[in-house]
Amino acid sequence: MNSASSHTRTRHRATFSNTVLILVILFLFLPLFVIITYSFSASKSMEFTTFSLKWYHQLFFDSDELWRAFLNSAVIALSSAAVATVIASGAAIGIMWYRFLGRQYIQILSFLPMVLPEVIIGISMLIFFSAVRLSLGLVTIFIAHTTFNLPFVYLLVTARLDEFDFSTVEAARDLGATEAQSLVKVVIPSILPGMLSGFLMAVTMSLEDFVITFFVSGPGSATLPLYVYSMIRYGVSPVINALSFVLILSIMLIAFTLRRFLKTIAASS
Amino acid sequence: MNHHRTLISYVLFTALFSFLLLFTTGCSKEKESGESSKADNTLYLFNWTYYTPESVIEAFEKEYGVKVVLDYFASNEDMFAKLKGGGSGYDVVFPSQDYAEIMIREKMAAPLDHEKLDNLRYISPLARQKATYDPDMVYAVPYYMGASGIAVMKNSVEDYPRDWSIFSDSRFRNRMSMLDDMREVMGAALAHLGYSVNSLDPDELEKATRLVNGQWKPNIVKFDAEGFAKAFSSGEFSVVHGYGEAVFEEIEEERWDDVDFFLPEEGGPMYLDSMMIPVTARHVELAHLFINFIHRPEMYAQFLDRFRFPSTVHTEAEQYRTTEPIYSSDALAAYELKMDLGENLPLYDNLWQTIRYDD
Amino acid sequence: MKRSSRLGITYAGPMGLWLTIFFLTPLFIIILYSVLKKGLYGGVEGTFSLAAYRQLVNPAFARVLFRTLIVAVTATVITMTLALPCGYAMARSRHQSFFLGLVIVPFWTNSLIRIYAWIAILSSKGFANELLKQLHIIDQSLPLIYNQGAVITVLVYMYIPFAILPLFTTIDSFDFQLLEAARDLGASRFTSITRVLLPNIRSGIITSGVFTFIPIFGAYTVPLLVGGKDSYMIGNIIVDQVTKTRNWPLASAISLIITLISTVGVMWMLMAGAQEKRERSESLRKAGTR
Repeated sequence: MNSASSHTRTRHRATFSNTVLILVILFLFLPLFVIITYSFSASKSMEFTTFSLKWYHQLFFDSDELWRAFLNSAVIALSSAAVATVIASGAAIGIMWYRFLGRQYIQILSFLPMVLPEVIIGISMLIFFSAVRLSLGLVTIFIAHTTFNLPFVYLLVTARLDEFDFSTVEAARDLGATEAQSLVKVVIPSILPGMLSGFLMAVTMSLEDFVITFFVSGPGSATLPLYVYSMIRYGVSPVINALSFVLILSIMLIAFTLRRFLKTIAASS
Repeated sequence: MNHHRTLISYVLFTALFSFLLLFTTGCSKEKESGESSKADNTLYLFNWTYYTPESVIEAFEKEYGVKVVLDYFASNEDMFAKLKGGGSGYDVVFPSQDYAEIMIREKMAAPLDHEKLDNLRYISPLARQKATYDPDMVYAVPYYMGASGIAVMKNSVEDYPRDWSIFSDSRFRNRMSMLDDMREVMGAALAHLGYSVNSLDPDELEKATRLVNGQWKPNIVKFDAEGFAKAFSSGEFSVVHGYGEAVFEEIEEERWDDVDFFLPEEGGPMYLDSMMIPVTARHVELAHLFINFIHRPEMYAQFLDRFRFPSTVHTEAEQYRTTEPIYSSDALAAYELKMDLGENLPLYDNLWQTIRYDD
Repeated sequence: MKRSSRLGITYAGPMGLWLTIFFLTPLFIIILYSVLKKGLYGGVEGTFSLAAYRQLVNPAFARVLFRTLIVAVTATVITMTLALPCGYAMARSRHQSFFLGLVIVPFWTNSLIRIYAWIAILSSKGFANELLKQLHIIDQSLPLIYNQGAVITVLVYMYIPFAILPLFTTIDSFDFQLLEAARDLGASRFTSITRVLLPNIRSGIITSGVFTFIPIFGAYTVPLLVGGKDSYMIGNIIVDQVTKTRNWPLASAISLIITLISTVGVMWMLMAGAQEKRERSESLRKAGTR
C-alpha cells in the first residue's frame, strides 16, 4: 500500500476542486498583474499614466545595491532552506519511528520557533549573537533563517510520514537492505513531496523575512526585504516592481528549461 | 521516480553551492573588513532611506578613494533597538533629537574631534540652540531640522482652515489620515491647544487626548505613517498629516501645484536629525571626514535640493541650492523639538493606547 | 516502531543540537528578560521584577487580543476552506509540480509590494471599484480598504500557500482507490469525502491549520498597512512594546504567554491526531484488513 499505487492520476473530473484551484491561482496572481502593469507605468505611484520602460532601465543600469541585496536574499534563502530541509527531515524520521532519550524535548522544541513572535526572536537572537561575539552578517542571517525554517519543514515531513506505512521499510529490511539503503530507496522517495514542499516553504519564508533579518543583519549585508521595507516611509520605488517581473520570468524560464532537461534525462534512462 | 531523484540532486547542488557562496562571501567580507579597518577604506552608514543623496556619496567616494556602504532604517525606534541589542559596525548613524539624547546618556556615542570638522562653523546658531542635549556638538552634529505638516489636495477640498483644526472638520470625514506616531499626534493636539509638545501636565495631556479621540479620530480613516503619501497621491485621502518630502516624492511634478503643503502656524512637534559616531565604530577617521564633507555648502545644498528642504541648520548652503523649498524655515518658528520623555513615557503611552487600541 | 535509540539520535540529533544552540539560548534570554526590570531606554536592568506580568492584565490588551482572535479564526477558516479543494485538485493532477510552482512562485516577490498592489486594487479609485462601476453594479466606490475586511482578505491571500502545501503533501499520499471503493459501495460524493478522505488526511489538515493560524495570529504588517483605525492586532502591540514603548520585559511576557497558549494548542492537536491514528490502526488490525 505504498504511494506508488495510490497515484491513480486519471483525469478525474473533480470539477469543483479544479475550479476552485483555478480561481485561487487567479486570485494569487491578481496582485502580480497589478505589479507588472505598474512596472511599465511612467509614474511613480500606483497609477498607470504613460507606458515607459524607465524602471527597467534603472533596474539594469542603476541598481547595484538592489542587486546585491537580491543576491544576498537568494543565497541565504537557498542555503538556509536546504540545511533546514535536511536536518528537519532527518528529525522527522527519527522522532516518528524511534524512541530515544530527548525525543519529547526535541518534539516540543521543534515548533517553538514558529510560534514565538518574530520581533522577539529577532531581538533575542541579536542579544545572543552579541553575547557570543559572533559578528553580524550573512552568517548570522543564515543561522536565524535556518532556525525559523525548521518547524515548517519538520511539520510537513511529519505529516507526510504520518500516512506512511512503516511495513514497507520492514519489508525492505527483511529483504536484506541496510539502513542507508532502505532510507534512500524506500523512505526518501516516499517523503520526497513533503521534503520538497518543506524546502519551497522555507525558501518562501526566508525570502520574505524582514523583522528577524533587520535585527541580525550586519552592516552591508542587507537582504531584499530590508532594502524594500526601509523605503516604506518614503515611497517604494517602482524599480522593485520591475525586479519582481524579471524574477518571475526568470524562475519560469529556469523551471521550464529544467523540466525539459529532466524529461530528456528521464526519456534516455 | 528517477526524475524526482535528479530534481533533488539539482536542488541539493544549488543549495550546497549557495551555502559555499555564502561562506566565502561571509568570510571574505570579514577578511575585508579586517583589512580595511586597518586600511580604513570603507565607511558604514546607518541612515534613513535616501536621506543622503547618491550624488554626495559618490562625490565622497571619489574624492577620498573609499567605499561607502549604507544600511537603512525606517524609524528611530528600529535603529535604536538594533543598536541597543548589540548591533555594531556602523560608523555614522543619523538619530533624531530624542534618540540622540538617549545615545549620549547611555554612552553609546563617541565624542567628536572638532579639529577634523571645520565645516561645523556653518551650523546655524538656531539649530545649536534648539539642540539642548548637545549645543556644543560634542557628540552630535545637526543634519537637518524639520517637521511634519499637513498636505491638502486643493481641487478636492474647499475652504479649509490652514491649521490643526482641519481634522475636526466633519466635511472632510473619511478622507483624512494622521501619522501613526504618538509624539506627532499628541504634539499636534497639545500645540493646537496652546500647550508644549513636551508637556507633562496630566490635565493638559487629558485635554489633548480628548481632542484627538473626540474630534479628530472620528474623521480620519486611519493612522498611517507608511502609506499616507501613496494614499494621498492616489486620491484616497484628500488631507494627510505627514512629511512633505514623502508627499512630493510620490506625486508627479505636474501635479505639485494642486498640493497645498503647510506647517500650521500654531506650531507643533519638530525633529532635529544629527550625525553621530557610535562608540563601536571602526572607521572613526573616515567618519569624521564624511561628516565634514557633507557640511560643505555645495554638498549640503544637494541634500536640500533632493528633498526641497529649507536650510534650517546650515548658514551657507542656501546660495548653492537650485530648487524652491516646500516650506520655509520661518514656518518652524512656533515649532518645538520633541524631547525624550524618559521615565514619563508611560504617561503618554497610556493615553496613546486609548487612542490607538480602542475602536 | 520502538526501535534502536542510536539510530533515532542520529536522525534527530542535528536538529536537536541546532535548536538547542541557536534557539534555546535566545528563548532563555526572553524568559529572563520577562522577569527583569525594564531599562529606561529599552533593554533591561539587573533587578528581578514581575512588573511585566502585572502589566499584562490590561483591558486594552484584552480587547486587541479578542479582536486578533476573531480575525485570525475567520481568516484561517476561509483560507483552509479554499485550500482543501486546491490541495485535492493539485494532488490528483498530472501536472503537480506545475501547480505547485504556480502557487508558490508569486510569493517569491516581495510581500510589501504585493500588499501595495492590494491597496491599489482595493482603493476607492482602484481596480476593484473601477471594475464594479464599469459593470454598473455600483455607482459610488465601496470602502474596501482600511478596514477589517481588507485585513482578512489580504491575510487570506498571504497565507493560502501555507495552507495548501501541507494539504497537498498529505493528500498526495492518500490512496484514491479508497474513494472509488467507497463510491462503488454506494456512498455519495459528499460522504466519501467526509468519511473516507478527510479522516485520512487529518494530520495534513492539522498541519495546515497550524501553518495558517499561527502566522496570521502574529501578523503585523498587513493590519498596519491595509487596516483602519480599528485593526490593531497583537503582533502590532508586541512590536510597539519593543520599539516605541521600549518595554522589552513586557514584550517578552506577552510573547511567552502567546507562545505558551499556542504550544499547548499545537501539542494537543498533534497528540489528538496521533491518538486517533493509533485507534484507527488498532481497529483496522482487529478487523483484519492488514
